[in-house]
Amino acid sequence: MLDDHERRIDHIARELKREERVSSSFDVRVMRAVRDLPRHARLTLWSRLTTPRRITVTPLSWGLLAASLLVFAVAGTRAVLVEESTNPSKPITTALFAAPAKKQTPQAVQFVLVAPDAKKVAVVGDFNGWDPKHASYQAQHRGGGVWSVTASVPVGHHRYSFVVDDSLWVADPIAPRAVDNDFGVTNSTLVVQAAQE
Amino acid sequence: MEGSSDAVIVDRVLRGDVEAFRVLVERYRDRYARYALHMLGNREDAEEALQDAFTRAYRSLDRCEDPERFAAWLFRILVNRCRTLGARRGRRGRTFVVDDVALMAASVEHPSDRGAWREEIERALQQLRPEQREAFLLKYVEDLGYDEMSRLTGVGVSALKMRVMRACDRLRELLSEVHSA
Repeated sequence: MLDDHERRIDHIARELKREERVSSSFDVRVMRAVRDLPRHARLTLWSRLTTPRRITVTPLSWGLLAASLLVFAVAGTRAVLVEESTNPSKPITTALFAAPAKKQTPQAVQFVLVAPDAKKVAVVGDFNGWDPKHASYQAQHRGGGVWSVTASVPVGHHRYSFVVDDSLWVADPIAPRAVDNDFGVTNSTLVVQAAQE
Repeated sequence: MEGSSDAVIVDRVLRGDVEAFRVLVERYRDRYARYALHMLGNREDAEEALQDAFTRAYRSLDRCEDPERFAAWLFRILVNRCRTLGARRGRRGRTFVVDDVALMAASVEHPSDRGAWREEIERALQQLRPEQREAFLLKYVEDLGYDEMSRLTGVGVSALKMRVMRACDRLRELLSEVHSA
């Protein structure tokens, strides 16, 4: 059973749930804006294979393509020769395509935010699934309003942000900003490089 | 095409049928106009936010991971556009005023008493802090659960509950003042 307060809130909500209508020109304005944007052109695999397409070739693009093929051929030949000299019994096909990439281990990154009024600060980013509750990314108060946490982040380009008191998203004031992600939140960017051997 | 699912229409748009997008506009414009209008307090800003949300949705449509849930995805964009627009208006020193909303509420289709009550509610709503107004509208007008609100806004459940509670207290307080005056 609802008490007086709940009844009043329920009454307010019911009033606010009444349908609203946009002005009659709204659809026209939206569609005009949409037509000005680039048209999507997703094709199915079969369409890609069977639909004739016009391609433009410039001398520069052909040159770059030729240079890329040359680099690939030289590198591949070298890999074969090196592999053969060290392990002559190994098949050539394996050597050509099995050049191992260097293992890139995650690096320790320290995140620091000055937030004197905060009660809690966490780091969220594409490296922890944007999870503000992730245990490894909870900052500790170091005194004087300084919060920091050192956490492991994979090598590569990342986007991240601080979350203050579970609600306020704050971009890192000393890091470059990422472009608006279409959802109204501006994040910071981070580049983690592999450790020098 | 009007009866097709959102996913079917999204697929057509992605294959280059721009005009198919009109179906999605017609399907969701009024449903979401209500939220934008209550959040921003006037029709001009509400329609700007809504139009912006639709055009951003179109532009990013190939990044809509679950086209069957296009509506929820669009709403998330709208919620953020309302935040951004509200903040920008706030920085320019403009206060939220009850104008179109109140006028619409007092239109001839409602009895005058009801129009006045609606006007009082709208005025009280616009006096809430934006984050409290957002939480109240999502909870009580859009009927979302706290988990869904959290996913939508990026705000924790406990913080959202606090905002809703404060919004309710403030609304009761403001509307009691009107009645006792």
